[in-house]
Amino acid sequence: MNAPPPRKLSLDEWTIRYEQLRRDGLHEPVYGGPLRRHVIREKDFRLEQLRFDNSPAALRLWNFLLTENERLRQARADGDKIVGTMKDLGTVPVMAYALPGVRAFYPDGAWWTPCLMEGSDKLLQQAEALGIDASFCPVRAMLPAFVNGEHFPKPDLLICSTGAVCDDFSAIAQRLEHLGHPILWWEMPRRRQPASGETACALPGNLTAPKIQVDCVRAELQRVGQALGELAGKTLDDHCLAAGIRAANQVRQLLAALRETVYSAPAAPLPALEMLVAEMFALHFCSDRGESIAVLGGLLDEVQTRIRQNQCVIGADAVRVFWVNPVADLRAMNLLEELGGRICGSDYMFTHALDLIPENLPPLEALARAALADPMVGPTADRAARIIRECQAGRAEAIVISRIPGASHCAREGEIIREIARREIGIPVIELEIPPVCDALLPALGSRLQALMEMLKAKRLK
Amino acid sequence: MIYAGIDAGSRSIKAVLFDTGRSQILASGLTDQGVEQERLAAELFEKLLRDADVDRTQVSGVVATGYGRNAIRFADTTITEITCHARGVHRLAPDARTVIEIGGQDSKVIALEAGGRVRDFAMNDRCAAGTGRFLEMVATRLDMNWEKLSALAQQSTKPAIISNMCVVFAETEIIGLLADGKPLSDVVAGVQNSIATRVSALAGRFVSPPVYFTGGVALQAGMARALEEALAFPVRVAPQPQFTGALGAAVLAGERNKADK
Repeated sequence: MNAPPPRKLSLDEWTIRYEQLRRDGLHEPVYGGPLRRHVIREKDFRLEQLRFDNSPAALRLWNFLLTENERLRQARADGDKIVGTMKDLGTVPVMAYALPGVRAFYPDGAWWTPCLMEGSDKLLQQAEALGIDASFCPVRAMLPAFVNGEHFPKPDLLICSTGAVCDDFSAIAQRLEHLGHPILWWEMPRRRQPASGETACALPGNLTAPKIQVDCVRAELQRVGQALGELAGKTLDDHCLAAGIRAANQVRQLLAALRETVYSAPAAPLPALEMLVAEMFALHFCSDRGESIAVLGGLLDEVQTRIRQNQCVIGADAVRVFWVNPVADLRAMNLLEELGGRICGSDYMFTHALDLIPENLPPLEALARAALADPMVGPTADRAARIIRECQAGRAEAIVISRIPGASHCAREGEIIREIARREIGIPVIELEIPPVCDALLPALGSRLQALMEMLKAKRLK
Repeated sequence: MIYAGIDAGSRSIKAVLFDTGRSQILASGLTDQGVEQERLAAELFEKLLRDADVDRTQVSGVVATGYGRNAIRFADTTITEITCHARGVHRLAPDARTVIEIGGQDSKVIALEAGGRVRDFAMNDRCAAGTGRFLEMVATRLDMNWEKLSALAQQSTKPAIISNMCVVFAETEIIGLLADGKPLSDVVAGVQNSIATRVSALAGRFVSPPVYFTGGVALQAGMARALEEALAFPVRVAPQPQFTGALGAAVLAGERNKADK
């Protein structure tokens, strides 16, 4: 039977589509099933407001994403060690997965939970009771998630970077430690250009840093590696780590191919929402590295097929938008497309986790360089330079910066990116603040995005 | 040909009938906003048709704009208030390069290119402190109407400093100022300065002259002066500022009709 053309489906439509796929002999992994069950079992009510790509590959993506809690608990039951890692965004998991029987995840990924559950879980209110109020970023949702133990198993080891990180995140993590969850801290210096006479090291993403900084991060990662080795009962040696880096690079290569294929296509073959979720896999493989490769491979096959067949999910006349920062409420990604936009590039704040980790360097050195390329630890101007390059590659007509309420990095980045984008490529930049559940703000968000679309379409006519 | 623009704002609904052939406003009017905004807009539209002695069938297109635009189902299409205010001000003042619109619920700074196309915009819709809502709160607190508030502001000799940037807290501050015997006129002028400061922060670096001030708040005497001081640019009040959004909607209805043909 021929597959239906690409389109976006509501949850109810997906239920019907799922039954059809089952009748047609859909093969599913162990975590498969209808999307509706996540609303029923996990109370992820937000799924009812979202619109999803209609491909089996997208179904697998969503099911994989939404079963991470189950997967981690099963791993714990099977005797695996669970590592909660925070703030490094993509570095420590490479080390953890290099060891057999160890899985890493990001507890601060719980910041999406209030949105997925439309706030019914009260995590944000409970965070306030635990001493972290609404002036902090929604990452504070992880605090009560640690207390109630419902959204992830309690980790065997907690690791968090400090130093050049979000101020508010650091405060939340320190509060977590004071609540009785010991943390192994490691220090990340603020990246700077090598001074005259200093030895420079090339970092992924066309960046450089002084060798002294790379040495500092390498020494810190060595300490992290020792702790991970002790947890696993096996030394994290260079051989082991090099294999872990190669496997992580396999995920990153797939993601790079997916991004390139989707963002450069004249008409978008995959919606922005599924791309955002897929890019998140770069961080910690959604707690199963092997399966994340299979999920991403399936998505890549799907988009390549669609492009070959001249099919798309968003028309070629859509306004090409480069999106900066992940959204607290996933509904915003749908909204952009409903109003006539499409994503042609993204910087979800972890671009260093998308770049390949050098395989021609000693493994710890390579990881230290990758970690130092984190956009959060360097000047926003560095981040803006990458955004400009990718805007040009993706022929972006505008940049949308979605602000995360309370996130300290948001204080200055918008203005800097706006100024550099205007100067270098002359495209408009708008900032939108997107709270965890943006329903009340949808008319206002919609107005801004619609005005942007009107402005850019008028510019095309000119 | 005749076109209609309906601007369903947060405080009031404005409507304009515009004859593109004669480049002339045939009728304009406004009514208070309410729960049944489509009915209110339809009644206003009918009134304008009667005022201009125009039959409904003579109207070639209707565009709705404003916060409640999607509720105006008898409109042929909707366009955002950013695009409509820009077009409306450009129609009345073609030299405009920056449009500042302060409405009842939000405020906007719109940068225009020659020809009136929107080049960039910034919008505040999260905080009442930079909007007409702040003045409404003061009017309610002082138990006076909008016109009297405007007249009072002109009598100020030393505007009060309102240090709170949140309307909720500022209300407490205003009560304190009044209790201390601060003249009403200085308190009102202080509120105007506070709004202007918020809007100038929104405008950032993309203000270029001539700057036109539009929206219902532009009718408040003293607000343009407050904006001039905050922006350090001369500010001109747009002709018929409360109707520029509806006018822009009507003009765009005509342009779209022409483009479709």
